[in-house]
Amino acid sequence: MDDPWRWRFWTLLAIVVGVPVLAGVLLALRFLPDRPVTYANIEDHFKYGSTGGERNAGFPLFIWKALPVVFADKLPRNGATGYEAFGMIYEKDEHGRPRELPVGVMRRRNLGLDRVFVNCAVCHSTTVREAPDKPRKVYVGTGASHFDLGLLEKFFGDIVVDERFTANVLVPAVERESGGKLGVLDRNLVYPVAIALMRERLLMLRDRFLPLETEKWGPGRVDTWNSAKAGLSFVISGLPEHERRGAVDFPSIWNQRKRKHRDDGQPMQLHWTGNNVSVEERNLSAAFGTGATPRTVDHAAIGRLEDWLLDAAPPPFPFPIDRAKADRGAAVYTKHCASCHGKSGQDFSGAYVGHVTPVAKAGTDREHYNSYTYELATNQNVLYAETRYRFTHFRKTDGYANMPLDGIWLRGPYLHNGSVPTLRELLDLPEARRATFYRGYDVLDPVRVGFVSDVPEENGRRFTFYDTKEPTKSNRGHLYGVGLPPADKDAIVEYLKTF
Amino acid sequence: MFAWTPERTKRLRITLVALFVVLAFGAWFGWYKFFRVVPQPPFATADERFKYGSIGGEDSAGIPYWIVYVLPRVFPDKLPGPTGYASFGFSWEEGTELPIGFTKKTIGFPRVANNCAGCHVASYRLSPDDTPKLVPTGPNHTFNLEAFFRFLVDCARDPRFNAGTLMAEINLAGDLSWIDRMIYRFVLIPITRKRLLERGPRFAWIYNHGLPQWPDWGRGRDDAMNLTKYFLTTSPLDDTLGPTDMPSIWNLKKYKTNPGTRMNFAGDSWDANSVIIDSALGLLGAGPANNRMFLEEIKWLTKYLEEYQAPKFPLPIDQARAAAGKAVFDANCASCHWSARTGTVVPVQEVGTDIERIKSWNKAAAVRSNETVRALGIERRGLVEADPTGYIAAFLDGIWLRAPYLHNGSVPTLRDLLEPVAKRPQVFYRGYDVYDSLDMGFISREDQAKRLGTSWDAVKAVATPYDVRWRSNGNMGHEYGVTLPQGEKDALIEYLKTL
Repeated sequence: MDDPWRWRFWTLLAIVVGVPVLAGVLLALRFLPDRPVTYANIEDHFKYGSTGGERNAGFPLFIWKALPVVFADKLPRNGATGYEAFGMIYEKDEHGRPRELPVGVMRRRNLGLDRVFVNCAVCHSTTVREAPDKPRKVYVGTGASHFDLGLLEKFFGDIVVDERFTANVLVPAVERESGGKLGVLDRNLVYPVAIALMRERLLMLRDRFLPLETEKWGPGRVDTWNSAKAGLSFVISGLPEHERRGAVDFPSIWNQRKRKHRDDGQPMQLHWTGNNVSVEERNLSAAFGTGATPRTVDHAAIGRLEDWLLDAAPPPFPFPIDRAKADRGAAVYTKHCASCHGKSGQDFSGAYVGHVTPVAKAGTDREHYNSYTYELATNQNVLYAETRYRFTHFRKTDGYANMPLDGIWLRGPYLHNGSVPTLRELLDLPEARRATFYRGYDVLDPVRVGFVSDVPEENGRRFTFYDTKEPTKSNRGHLYGVGLPPADKDAIVEYLKTF
Repeated sequence: MFAWTPERTKRLRITLVALFVVLAFGAWFGWYKFFRVVPQPPFATADERFKYGSIGGEDSAGIPYWIVYVLPRVFPDKLPGPTGYASFGFSWEEGTELPIGFTKKTIGFPRVANNCAGCHVASYRLSPDDTPKLVPTGPNHTFNLEAFFRFLVDCARDPRFNAGTLMAEINLAGDLSWIDRMIYRFVLIPITRKRLLERGPRFAWIYNHGLPQWPDWGRGRDDAMNLTKYFLTTSPLDDTLGPTDMPSIWNLKKYKTNPGTRMNFAGDSWDANSVIIDSALGLLGAGPANNRMFLEEIKWLTKYLEEYQAPKFPLPIDQARAAAGKAVFDANCASCHWSARTGTVVPVQEVGTDIERIKSWNKAAAVRSNETVRALGIERRGLVEADPTGYIAAFLDGIWLRAPYLHNGSVPTLRDLLEPVAKRPQVFYRGYDVYDSLDMGFISREDQAKRLGTSWDAVKAVATPYDVRWRSNGNMGHEYGVTLPQGEKDALIEYLKTL
């Protein structure tokens, strides 16, 4: 008598409990995995590996790909298309096809989507050609001299207030990017929600970053400290005008171990103003730029990069070096440069290396120095609060730090603000340095050392004009060695090629 | 029929035990997350303890750490300036998590409260490019306490003060566990909002500003006696207004070794111990959670403040001129400032300075305050139970760092104070901490800023306009030495540097 009821009971139970459990399991399988795309090769890891920031700031991959298509009219009008218009680099994969993502964009499965965001390499790798007809080589660990971060930020700020930034427009574009393989759930729920969340977050960022006028930075440069202020919700428009801008070149990041000690046994003062002596803290500070917050940061993945950068060395100068001339240059360099810049590209010893030279004495453009303030330094004390990583090393200094010159041939243009196109010009009086030039062209100048900087356009791709009369861009100061005979200057430059 | 079968008894026993375990766990959990007191880590020096040591405020007036943390990021529009908490003019040391005067202590969860150092650590710079030098027990002339009081209440009154908005910002800054996020979302944020809103009505008089003649306290001042009236004794608001400078509190021993001296600007309190107790109770906003511990801290503070000596003038002094100045001082100033009269009340009719501060206090308020403190079980000599009649002739130790001058800070420099009222500045700016060693005071007028080549540091941007035509801000009176020849004034000023 009980049998049919028992059967019905179990069936009902299976439906009432089993179906939701099954659905829950399926949803969990879809939405819970948190998996970065990883690389065994450390250089690939640097170029494409995760810092964890995608969990906070990551764009869904297909949206990332659709944006420059949908908003092609909002890209910089410089003759390039897609993300290449910002100077981003697409390498070829093993089949010779362009990779799906450019150098400096990382990827992670998170919240049921592939999410992508920029990582360290976007600002710290560059392309180089030995001549216009030679192949492009990608070098990691140097400043991204041709990448225009400011325009990329402007682009994201522009599109989020565009009327097309809606699910109606973007979901079909995502569908195309996915090759028509979007599921029902994706089309109707996941992407519309993702677009709404992205919009909210981008609007918040736009609100904070718009006053920075990032479009004025130019390629290879970033206003580090005003970006930090914006992230901390400072009211940029309320700051005194001289603190509001301070774009500088992206630095090279090799040989960090050697930067942990200077001649007096203390660690070197890092950053252009020497405002921090902790390599690790400096790295976490920079990682904010990749979206990595205390909650999302992947300490293991960043640690791997950190370890590698301790001893990663710059590539050798790709042209022949006149050894005899370089030796003569070494003698002059030792006398006039070494105490501040180290004995060589490998030996960073020198009484003032990693110390700060007062801004008036250095004589270089003051704006970046002005932009780093005591108020910012103290506010940075709360970053990574309640963790063992809390920032404790930021200090306002009185000038600019004396940098080691490892890989200096790859670090043009020169001075902290990228205002002097070549090393040879840096050894001349400011009046003799080029007052205007172009940035973004990646062919090396093997004689004066730096990038060729007088090419406004190549095959329809227009480069960015740099006018040293504009704020933050002055090429004055650093008058060291300018009085030497030209032959000595040439010899110094030859020696610097060995760095 | 119900019967106590052994089986039922057993089942009941198991149920009770289970219930007990659950309740015990719940009680332990509640204690751990809300009431568990973790002592602050020990302080390396007495100065550190003064700057960051808890005086017990976390129990009654503590705000959950992460709420304090994100308020300036969510409400930058409610800050007095663009630079986060730094814009209140707290003294904030580089590398330190919280500004001076902020204490962090875990009572269940990390809480932030304040101590004496918030108002009693002075900062000064000798040039705009310096980082501030901090002097414990000196007057914090840069701190805008009123703006801070208003900020907390204004945030609570804003619809953005909700769990969703605050949690979004907290998640960007911290890495809280799920359970702590829930506690913040559902308990701490709503309760904190309620508590802050409750403060609002008592603070009504600091919202009068903008009414005709009703000035802001401005940086470096507080309406101390009204704070005592309205918060310690919960007297109804009256129409008085008496903001005064934050005083220096170094070398309190002088009040002990000079019998007959009294404390506070109008001699309202009998001794240092009473003043310290009353000020600390003001910070607690309630009776101490533990009188014994509270009084032990007071005892320590009293000893520390008795012994701490005023800082020496940080620049060279012309000793010959100072010696000449001593003669001028002895002839013109010593009768009040270096005599038996020092530290005693001078009738306001005699000194002629602004009277509003005197009107803000009275005998009834003193009686009520003394009763209130006695009712808390705290013994002290207490407030003088009489209507105030004048102002204390000040001890001048460390007078160089105590600018602006007079009880209400209405005269920016000592040189201005040696001018007749008509020639003292009518409008100037308080709270800028670059020192003017010529006139002895802080740079406070744009023309001076220009003269000293510091016009880049727009005084306006960081300082509070201070207009002596507003009620209680009068710069009249104390016209002593104003007719001295210029040479004698110069000598006198040089001598004052030695005090």
